[in-house]
Formats: sequence, structure tokens, C-alpha cells
Amino acid sequence: MTPKNNIVIGIILALLVVASYNVEVSPVEFVEGLPNLMIVIEEMVAVEPKYIPTALWAMFETIQMAFIGTVIGIAIALPLSLLSARNLNSKFVYAPIRALLAAIRTFPSILWALLFVIMVGSGTFAGVLAITMYTIGFIAKLQYEVIETIDSDPMDAVSSIGVSKVQLISYVVIPESASHLLSQMLYMFDYNIRQTSILGLVGAGGIGFYIINYIKFFEYGKAAIFMLVVLITVLVIDWASVKIRDKYIIKSQHGMEVTTK
Amino acid sequence: MKQIQMTKNPPFSLISTKKIIQMSDVWTSYDSKNFALEGINLSIDRGTNYSIVGQSGSGKSTLLKLMNSMMIPSKGIIKIDYITPNMNDKKFKKMMHTIGYIPQNLGLIKNTTILENVLIGSLPRLNKIQSLLKKFPEHEIKEAKRIIQLVGLMGKEYRKIYMLSGGEKRRVAIARALMQKPTILLADEIVSELDHVTAREIMDLIVDAQKRMNLTAIMVHHDMQLALEYANRVAVIKEGRKILEIGVEGDNIVDFQTGDMTTEEIMEMYSDDTKK
Repeated sequence: MTPKNNIVIGIILALLVVASYNVEVSPVEFVEGLPNLMIVIEEMVAVEPKYIPTALWAMFETIQMAFIGTVIGIAIALPLSLLSARNLNSKFVYAPIRALLAAIRTFPSILWALLFVIMVGSGTFAGVLAITMYTIGFIAKLQYEVIETIDSDPMDAVSSIGVSKVQLISYVVIPESASHLLSQMLYMFDYNIRQTSILGLVGAGGIGFYIINYIKFFEYGKAAIFMLVVLITVLVIDWASVKIRDKYIIKSQHGMEVTTK
Repeated sequence: MKQIQMTKNPPFSLISTKKIIQMSDVWTSYDSKNFALEGINLSIDRGTNYSIVGQSGSGKSTLLKLMNSMMIPSKGIIKIDYITPNMNDKKFKKMMHTIGYIPQNLGLIKNTTILENVLIGSLPRLNKIQSLLKKFPEHEIKEAKRIIQLVGLMGKEYRKIYMLSGGEKRRVAIARALMQKPTILLADEIVSELDHVTAREIMDLIVDAQKRMNLTAIMVHHDMQLALEYANRVAVIKEGRKILEIGVEGDNIVDFQTGDMTTEEIMEMYSDDTKK
């Protein structure tokens, strides 16, 4: 270990101590609090099965919210991504749109949800709007990065024919970036379901609304059912999107025969 | 007698409709200090199979890109069918519709089918609605299929590009260029990565199409032997300069500066000049 490394490690440790003091990190309190956790777990184990249908319905509602938000968000994000790609536009077009997208991304979805609850009142619609905003910010960024890394050869070959920009976009840019888009859509939907599950915390509908209310009223048994449903759903969707990605995206990128009906 | 006023260095001594590509003292640079091409003079007749030969980095790809306005010279005059290449010029843009360009990596759209790639060549002939809806007219589809057959890919119209072999991909790129109903075909090292037999199959295909459609083919090669075999004219580019231009008529090779030369002499000169 060099002296330089020692100094770096020393600085990190010092910062850790200072920061912990500032935010009142206390290992003693953590250990003292463990019995409280045990009480919660004990109550949670006493699940109430009759709430399962409600929980499933709430989850279904959450998935629908995520679905609408993802689809509308992507529909808005795609044109924006085309406008913010550096290889397709002049600086005067892409720079302002990129700034706007960056501004959208600075807000986590829960803050968007808060904002929309104030705007349209609490409920699922506020949640859908929040998810839409979040999706726009991220998909547009991911997609313009893909567009910028498109192989320049097809672009050169086709633009040398003297085609219009719209033709270049619909015959080269979109087909060349489509497989990435599919994988991003899946990822975004998957991610949005998790996000939507917690939007209820600020009154923007979905399954999180039930969870936060049951916890507020110390009904851990009921909350547990809802949390369990979220957990299982997320696992299933995770598994499914891996399967879909393997089947349709990975193969086509590696040039293997794709079996589609 | 009426006096004809001449500039000191007329860009082209002879104006004739025979010439399809003319370059006079053309310089290009990627930055302001280093030149990729230095004072190139070229004159290519209609219907010629013209080869540009040189090692990598010699500036031969740049030379090709000047011919369809993918690059603009920093100095000098270029005329393609008497029009200066410029993408923003309507007249030249119309001409670009009939200049087939095959870049070194072919520039095919990997996730689409052969037919879709070939149809791209007809895009300039579509109206806005057809091109937006991706609805190609029946006669264009028929024409595309005819060309696909011509390049020897019959029955594979609906195969995706990533499933094809290197030789097949080149056939698709040629088909896309032919779909443009071109007058000029520019191809950048189209057979460089192929084996001996496949390379000649592809070259035969181009020469055949060239004769059928009265095309001017301008092809960049790094293999001198191949260039001599197929071209009517060969220009050798080294470090941005044209060091040699030879005409080939059957087995006769004519150097425009020194007179007749044998293949051996050319090969020797080429390898001397490029392997240093």
C-alpha cells in the first residue's frame, strides 16, 4: 500500500465519521430497534387471506397505470429523441430539447407524482402522469444515445442517394435502432411497475396507497399481503422480460435465425 | 478573326459530353494542415470501368466521396456531368438519385430484408405519402425482384441481412445501387475482404450490369491485379497524389506519360511505390 492510498482511505474514513455524526447514524439505536422489527414481522406473519383479491386487483390497477404511462411516455419520447440526436440535427434544435429532457430527469417519479396530485388531485391519473413524465425523460435520453451510435455507413449510403431527412429517419434510423428500443421498452415497463407501486405513498393511486394506509394504522398483517403481491409480481415480470429479451432481442442481434410466427 | 479568350490554366482543355467526371487540381483536408488529397486531376469517360488503386490511407476513399458530395474539396474544381457536387444544390441532389454509392462496409440495414434494402434505391421516385406509409408501388417491387434475380439472390428476397454471407451482402448492396437506375456506380473496396473466387464473381456481376445499363463504374481497390483484370483505366493514388494513370485495352497497358508498359512493370512500379 502506497502512502497516497493511505491518505485517500484516511480522508474517506474521516468523511464517513463526519457525515454519520451529521445525519445521526447510530449503530446502538439500530440494535436497540431490532425488537421493534420483530414485532412488525410477527404481525405480518398473521396475514389475512381475505384481502388477497383486493391486493390482486390493486396490483392489476398498478400494472395498468404503469402500462399507460410507459406507452404514452414512449410515444412522446421517440420524436423528442430524434430531435435531440446530434447526428440528425443542428445545435439549435438538439440543445434546447436536451436541456428540457435533463430538467425532466432531475425529478424522481415520486416528486412528479406529488406535483400532479396537486394539479389533478389524488388518484391514479396523477400516478399515470408521473410515470409518463419519468418515461419521457429516460427513454428519450436512452434512445438518442442509441441513435447517435448508429453505424454511419448505412446513413452515408442512403443519404448519398439524395433522400429526404424524413426518409432517412424512417428507412435507416428507426430500423437500425429498433432492437434497442424494444429492449428499452421492456426495461422501462418493468421499472415503471416498481415505481408505480410506491406512488400511492403520495396519494397517486396504485397498490402503494393501500400499503401506506395499512401501515399508518398499524395493520401490518394486511400491509404484508399487499407487499407480498408486489414482490411476486415484480419477480414474475423480471423473469418474463428476461425471457422475452433472450428470445427476440439477443438472438436477432447475434444474427441467429429468429423464429416468429 | 474572333478571338477566344482563355484563362491561363483552363480547368478542362476539352469540353465534350463524353466526360462524365472531371476533377481539376482538387485538394481536400480533414483539418487545415494535413491534406488527404493533393492536386488531383482526373477525367473519366462515360461508360468506363475506372479503378482507383492505393494502399489504405492513400486518400482513395476520399476521392470517391468527392464524386457524390459526401465530401467537399477545400480547393479545386469537380464536375459530375458538368454539375458541381453539392448536396444543397437541387440540380445535384437530383443527380444523386442516379449515383449509386457502396461504402466499404456496404451500409445495409441489418434488421431488414433483402427486398427492403433494395427498395431503398427507389426512394427518390416515391411520393411523400408512399414513402411515409412505406407503400412501394407494385412496379417498383417487381423491378426490385427483377434486380434481386439479376444479382443472383432469387428466392431470398425476404431474408434478413444479418443472415447473409459476405458475398451475398455485396450482391444486395449492388442491387440497391442498381435499383437507383444509376448512371454512375461508386464502390469502395467492395471485394477486398472476399476470397479470390467470390471476388471475381462480384466483379463479373458489376461488369455485366455495367454493360447492360451503360454505367460508369468507379471502383476503389487495393489489389492491383484485380484492377488490371477488370478496369479500362487504373489510377494509382499514393499519399494523396495520383502517381500513375494507365489505360487497359485487352492485354495492352498504356501509361499516359511513358508509353506502353507490361503488367510486370506496372506491378513492380506499384509495389515499389506503395510498400515503401
